[in-house]
Amino acid sequence: MNQPLIDLQHISKSFDSTMVLDDLNLTVKENNFVTLLGPSGCGKTTTLRIIGGFESPDTGKVLFNGQDITHISPNKRPLNTVFQKYALFTHMSIAENIAFGLKIKNKSKAYIQDKIKYALKLVNLDGYENRSVDSLSGGQQQRIAIARAIVNEPRLLLLDEPLGALDLKLRQDMQYELIRLKNELGITFIYVTHDQEEALTMSDTIVVMNQGYIQQMGSPENIYNEPENAFVADFIGDSNIVPGTMIRDELVEIFGAKFPCVDKGFGNNRPVDVVIRPEDIDLLEPGKGSLSGVVTHLIFKGVHYEMEVTTPDGYEWLVHSTDLFPVGKEVDIHVDPFDIQIMNKPASEDEEAIGVNE
Amino acid sequence: MKNTTLPSLRRFISNFYLVLVLIFLYAPILTMMVLSFNTSKSRTQWGGFTTSWYQQMFSDANIISALYNTLMIALVSALVACIIGTAAAIAINSMKPVSRTIVMGITNIPMLNADIVTGISLMLGFIAFGISLGFKTILISHITFNIPYVILSVMPKLKQTSKSTYEAALDLGASPLYAFFKVVFPDILPGVLSGFLLAFTMSLDDFIITHFTRGAGINTLSTLIYSQVRRGIQPSMYALSTIIFLTVLVLLLIANYRPKAKPAYSETAQTRSREETAPESGTRTYLKKKLRAEQLHKWTMVTAAVFILLAAGLISIKNYAMANNNELYVYNWGEYIDEEVVAMFEEETGIKVTYDMFETNEEMYPVIDAGAVLYDVVCPSDYMIQRMMENDMLAEINFDNIPNIDQINPRYLEMSQAFDPQNRYSVPYCWGTVGIIYNTKRLEELNVAPPTSWSDLWNPALSGEILMQDSVRDTFMVALKDLGYSMNTTDPGELQEAKELLIAQKPLVQAYVIDQVRDKMIGGEAAVGVIYSGELLYIQEEVEALELDYQLDYVIPKEGTNLWIDAWVIPSNAQNKENAEKWINFLCRPDIALRNFEYITYPTPNQGAFELLDKDTQENKSVFPNLDELENCEVFQYLGDEDDAVYNHLWKEVKSK
Amino acid sequence: MSKKLLSFPYLLWMLGFTIIPLGLIVYFGLTDKTGAFTLANILAIATEEHAKALWLSLGLSLLATLFCLLFAYPLAMILRSKGVSGSAFIVFIFILPMWMNFLLRTLAWQTLLEKSGVINGLLAALRLPPQGLINTPAAIILGMVYNFLPFMVLPIYNVLVKIDDNTINAARDLGANTFQTFWYVMLPLSIPGIISGITMVFVPALTTFVISNLLGGSKILLIGNVIEQEFTKGNNWNLGSGISLVMMIFILISMALIAKYDKNGEGTVI
Repeated sequence: MNQPLIDLQHISKSFDSTMVLDDLNLTVKENNFVTLLGPSGCGKTTTLRIIGGFESPDTGKVLFNGQDITHISPNKRPLNTVFQKYALFTHMSIAENIAFGLKIKNKSKAYIQDKIKYALKLVNLDGYENRSVDSLSGGQQQRIAIARAIVNEPRLLLLDEPLGALDLKLRQDMQYELIRLKNELGITFIYVTHDQEEALTMSDTIVVMNQGYIQQMGSPENIYNEPENAFVADFIGDSNIVPGTMIRDELVEIFGAKFPCVDKGFGNNRPVDVVIRPEDIDLLEPGKGSLSGVVTHLIFKGVHYEMEVTTPDGYEWLVHSTDLFPVGKEVDIHVDPFDIQIMNKPASEDEEAIGVNE
Repeated sequence: MKNTTLPSLRRFISNFYLVLVLIFLYAPILTMMVLSFNTSKSRTQWGGFTTSWYQQMFSDANIISALYNTLMIALVSALVACIIGTAAAIAINSMKPVSRTIVMGITNIPMLNADIVTGISLMLGFIAFGISLGFKTILISHITFNIPYVILSVMPKLKQTSKSTYEAALDLGASPLYAFFKVVFPDILPGVLSGFLLAFTMSLDDFIITHFTRGAGINTLSTLIYSQVRRGIQPSMYALSTIIFLTVLVLLLIANYRPKAKPAYSETAQTRSREETAPESGTRTYLKKKLRAEQLHKWTMVTAAVFILLAAGLISIKNYAMANNNELYVYNWGEYIDEEVVAMFEEETGIKVTYDMFETNEEMYPVIDAGAVLYDVVCPSDYMIQRMMENDMLAEINFDNIPNIDQINPRYLEMSQAFDPQNRYSVPYCWGTVGIIYNTKRLEELNVAPPTSWSDLWNPALSGEILMQDSVRDTFMVALKDLGYSMNTTDPGELQEAKELLIAQKPLVQAYVIDQVRDKMIGGEAAVGVIYSGELLYIQEEVEALELDYQLDYVIPKEGTNLWIDAWVIPSNAQNKENAEKWINFLCRPDIALRNFEYITYPTPNQGAFELLDKDTQENKSVFPNLDELENCEVFQYLGDEDDAVYNHLWKEVKSK
Repeated sequence: MSKKLLSFPYLLWMLGFTIIPLGLIVYFGLTDKTGAFTLANILAIATEEHAKALWLSLGLSLLATLFCLLFAYPLAMILRSKGVSGSAFIVFIFILPMWMNFLLRTLAWQTLLEKSGVINGLLAALRLPPQGLINTPAAIILGMVYNFLPFMVLPIYNVLVKIDDNTINAARDLGANTFQTFWYVMLPLSIPGIISGITMVFVPALTTFVISNLLGGSKILLIGNVIEQEFTKGNNWNLGSGISLVMMIFILISMALIAKYDKNGEGTVI
C-alpha cells in the first residue's frame, strides 16, 4: 500500500517554445488532499491537465497506481475532473448532466437514478433534477459539476480552481463542503488554486510551484512555518525577508544585531536570507530586545494590530501584535529562536527559480 | 479537440481536408485568372499569352462605369445601412421582449427571403411608387438587404456593453449624445465595422436583386457580366476581376503581416506569455475575441483602401461624362456594336450616349412597356417590333432626318414589311438566317453525314452532341419547319406535334444555350448546333487563328428557316427623338456600318458597307446567302399575347420533361 | 423613449422597401391581369411542369444542403481546432472568393467541367475516360455547394468556437470517446448553427435560376427559372408572383425553424 496513487516522473512540457514544466517530479498518496499552489503561469494547471490527459507531456511518464497512463486518452483514465468554469452541458438538464458518465458506461437506469439522487443529496441540491443549467447560481453550478464527477466513483478527483468564480462567503462555505466531501467519499483530491488561504485551509499537502518548478512540498504548517526559499516565504502569508549573516551555527546577525536561532550547517560568516513572520515578532520596551526601531505605521485589523517598525538601517518590519504601540513610539524587536527561518541566498536568478526541487 | 492518440495522423488528415477545400474554393478563381491572359476569347481554348485584355479593360467605358457603379453602390449602401442599422440595433436592444421579437422577425425577412423574391418585390414596389428604375433603385435595394447584416453584427456587441459604463458617463456630467459617442460607440465599433464589411461584400457580390431593380444605362459588374454571358464574356472582365481579387489579397496580406514579438523579453512579459499560451480557456477566449476585433479593423481598412484606389480615378471620369445634358438612351443587344462607334458618335454630335444592353427580346419588352426606363432608341427583332407596334409603343420615324436610309439595300426594307408593312417604324440593322453549324471531324468520328435537314437533329447517333437555342420561338421554329408547318403557326394541333417532337429530342440535346453555341462549338464541345448565321465569320476566323484540327461548317436546312432582321426603332415615350434619329442615321453611314459589321460579323443590310467588303466575304454564302435560292423562309411574326402564352406554356412543358 | 425613436428610420425603411413590396407580390399573386381576385396563379404550382420544377428544385437543393452540411461540419471543426489564428484564416478563405464576382465564379466552373474542360483534361492526362460533367443535375448541385458553402461553414464555426474547450474535455473526462463526445456534446450544442446554416443554403439553392442556367445548360427547369421567366420573358407577373408566394411557404418554414432552434441568434454568418 506504499505505492503512490499518482507518480509524475520527469515531466516536461512547453507550448510554442515556452517551457511551462521542466523535469517535474511529484508523487501523490492515496486519500490525500493535495493542492498545487502558485501564481498564474506557474504550470499548476498544466500539471493537472497532464494528469487528466488533456495535455500530453513532451517527456516523462504519468503513473497511476503504478500503471503508465501517459498515453491513455482522458476517457479511459480512472479519474475525474471538476473544471474551472464548471463546463456543464448547457443543453442537458441537471439530471442528464450527472447521468452523463454513467450512461456512457451503460449503467442500468435504476442505478443511474439512485446515483443522481445520492449525488444531489451529497451536494445539498436534492430535487434539482429537472432544472436547467442556466437557472442555477454559480455556487449551485459548482456543486453540480462536483456531483457529475463523483457519481463515477473515481479514485482521484482533479479540481481546477473550482472556487475561483465564487464570492468570498460562498467560497469559504464551499471549502468546508469540499473537506466534508473528501472525508465522506474517501477519495484523493488534487486541487489547483492560486489562493494561499484556500490551500492552507483544505490541504493535507501543499505543492508550491513557480515558473514550472516545484518550489516546496509539505504540510500546510511546514510550508507556512518553514519556507525553504524567499519565493515560498513571500507567496505564503506575509513575511519579513531580510539579509543576514550566519555567524556560526544557531546564531544569525541581522542589521548588526545578533539573534540566536535553531538552524545549523550553513557554515560560518555566510550571507543568508532570514524569514520572520510578522506575528512572530515581539515588540518590547526600548533596551529589552535585540534591535531597536520606531513605530511608523499602525492599522487596526480586528484580531490584531498591524504595525510597521522602521529600524535605523531603513528596513520597515511588518509586525502583527495584539498589543498596541502608537505611531512614534520607540520599541525593541525580539524574536524567539525557533521563529527564525534561515535560507541560503540564491546564487543567481536561475537558482532562485529552481529553488528546491525534490 | 485534442487527442493524444496519433495526433500527427489526425493533423495530416485535417490539413489534407483543408487543402482539398481550398482547391475547391479557389480552382475556379485560378481558372479565371488564367483566362484573363488568354489571347482567345474562348473559354476552352488556349490561344497564347497576352496582357492586352488588361489594357482593353481600362479603355472600355462600359467596364469602367460598371466598376464605378458597383463600388459606389457598395460603399454608399454599406454606409447608409451602417447608420440606419446601428441606430435600429440600439433601439431594438432597449425594446421589450415582445416588440423586439417582432422587429427581429422583420429584420430576418431580407436575409432569409429568396433573392429572387426580394428582387421582384422591390421591382414591383418601385414601379408602384412611380420610382423610375436606375442607380437609386439599386442603391435602395442594396441598403434594404444590407441593414439586417449590420443589425445582426451590432446586436451582440450591444449585449456585451454594460449599461453601467454609459450611466457612469452620464454621472460624470456627459450629455447622452456625448456619452454615447465616447463610451458606448467605441465598444460596439467592431460590430459596426464587421457589419460594414459584410454589407460591402454582399453588395459587391449581388447579382439577382440588382438584376431586377436596375434601370437604364446602369450596370454593375454583375449585370454587365450577365449581359455578356449569352455572347461570351469579354476577357477584360476576367482581367478586372483578377485585379480586384489580387488587390484585396495583397492588402490583406499586408494588413495581416505582423512583425514578430521583440526578442528582448522582460521577466513579466515572459510570465505573461506563458499564461497566454497555457490553455486556460478564459484567456484564450479573450484573446480570440481581441484578435477578431483587430481583424475587423484591418478588413475595414482594406475595404477603404480598395475603394479609394479604384474609385478615386473613376469619379473624375464620371463627373466629366455627367456634365452633358444632350443625351441619348440606347438599348441594344449585348456585344452588338463596336464600342468605338459610340465614342465616335458622341464626338461628332456632342450627344452623351447612355448605352444599355438586353439579352432577349422578351426581357427588353417589359422594360419598355413599364416605362420604368425611358429609352430613346431600341434594337429589337422583327416579331417583337410588330408586337410593340401593335401595342402603340413605337413612334414613327421621321426619315427626313435619316438621309442615309438610301444606303440600305431596298430588298431588306421589303423583307421588313413582314412586320412593319409601310417601313414607317424601323430601320434594319442586321439580318441573317438560322441554321446548323457542325463539326466535320466530330461527325466523321460519329459516322454521321453532314446535316442537310432539321430532322438530322433527331439522329440518335448524335446523342449528347446537339446544342439547341434556349428561346421559345427559335426552338419551335426548328420543330415546326421539320414538320413542314409555318413557324408562325397558331394551330394547336401543329404546336402539340412540335412540342412532342421537341420532347422526343430532349434526351439527345446536350444543352439549351443562346450565344454560347459559338464558344462551345469552337471548343469542340458538341458536334452540331443551331446557330444564328451572324456568328459564323467570327467562328471561322477563330478556328483558323487557334489552328484547330477540325472545321466548323454551316448549312441552312432544306426545309427552310427563319430569316431574321434586327432593326432600330424609337419608343413612343422617347425623350430625345431627334437624337435617336441622328443615331440611326449615323449607323447607316457605310463606313460606320462596315465597322460594326467587322465587329459584330452579322450580315449587314447596308449596301454601301457591303460594297466596301473584300470579295471573299461578299461571296461567303454562309454569311450572305443568296436570298433568291432560299425556300420556305419566313420572318417571325408577333402572334398576340394569348398565343405567346401558349408557346411559353408548351416550352415550359418541354423544359420540365 | 428617445432610444425608441432611433428605430423609426429603420422601421419606415422596412415598411417601404420590404413589407409593402412583399404585399405587392401577394396582391399580384392573388389577382389576374385584369385585377380580379383569383387563386389560379397559386394553384398553377400544381400543373405538371411547375410541380416537376418544384420537386426537382426541392430535390437538388436538399441534396446540395446535405452536401454542404457534410463538408462544412468537419471543416468548421478543423477550423475551430486551429485556435487563435483561425478567425483570421476563416475570413481569408471564405470571404475572399466573394470579391470575385458570383457569375464569373460560376462560369469558371463551366470551363472546369466542360467536355474539353480542365477536369477532363486532367483525366485525359491520367489516361482516364472523359466524364460528362456539365449540364447535369450533379453540375447544378456542385454549383450550389460551391456558392453557398460559406453560408454553412460560418454559422457552424461561429457556434463551435463558442463551445468552451473544457466542456469537451469534461465529456472526455466522464468517459466519452471521440464519437460519443461529438454525438452527445458537440452536435447538440451546435444545432443553432446547423439550423441557420441549413436555411442559409437551402433557400437560395431552392430559388436559384442562375446556377441552373449556367451549369445545367438550361435543360433543367427549376422553380427559380420558372419565376424568372414569368417576369423577364413570359411577361406574366401575376403567375410569377403566385409561384413566388408558394416559395415563401418554404421561407416561412425556415424562419420558424430558426426562431425555434436559434433563440439567441448565435448561429449567424457574422
